Amino acid sequence: MIFTRFTDRTRACVEAAFDEARMLGHDSLGDEDLLLGILRADEGIGAEALSSLGVTLEGTREQSEEMLSYALSSIGISFEEVRREAGDAFEMRIPDNRRIPFSPRAKKALIEARKEMRRMGDNYLGTEHVLLGILGNADGIGARILAGMGVTPEALEERLFELRGRAAG
Amino acid sequence: MNEKTRTTVGGPEDPREGLEAVVALRRTLEALEAAQVENAFIAGWSWARIAEVLGVSKQAVHKKHAKRIRARYPGEPPERKGS
Repeated sequence: MIFTRFTDRTRACVEAAFDEARMLGHDSLGDEDLLLGILRADEGIGAEALSSLGVTLEGTREQSEEMLSYALSSIGISFEEVRREAGDAFEMRIPDNRRIPFSPRAKKALIEARKEMRRMGDNYLGTEHVLLGILGNADGIGARILAGMGVTPEALEERLFELRGRAAG
Repeated sequence: MNEKTRTTVGGPEDPREGLEAVVALRRTLEALEAAQVENAFIAGWSWARIAEVLGVSKQAVHKKHAKRIRARYPGEPPERKGS
């Protein structure tokens, strides 16, 4: 990935996204992990827009696990039962010695983020651009998690532009 | 997200859903393997015996799990015999 023009906040978000991905057992960094990274770093317009719409780190993690549980239930497996039967040693965390790559969706979100940056005439890649990049893929997990929490792309975009306007003015 | 839709052949109707189930299962399998290997270790099983039941080499099990589990239980391999 190319991190040129990333703000320090955006870099911090990507780093936090990797921590989140590991914790949740994601064997690659998904677009939803970028969303979690923005929330976890909790700085910048992206995080502010999300929290003003009631999107929390904890709630988003829960949605992510909910999606895993739902996917397993579609093939007749109860995640809750697997976890209970395995006992205390069961955790989704990816071990430290295993590296995880960016997923195609996360790459796409960051490429879209750069396009947003150019479209908006900015010379820095901020968390708001990353968030727009995530939203750009309606089929992505990030956008679906947000939809599951009742946040539409339109509402989030509107809030982002409001906050940008305020920061500029 | 709560209603399950199925085709008559029993697979999820939406291919995406089917594929996502595979991803979810793979992640869960990894976590389950780590947990069960750890459980066996705590129960005093040797790496060789764990490997035998998993049907893989001792080296493979050791490489994948030993560091993580040893870090969690420093010093005291319970009733460790063999390797």
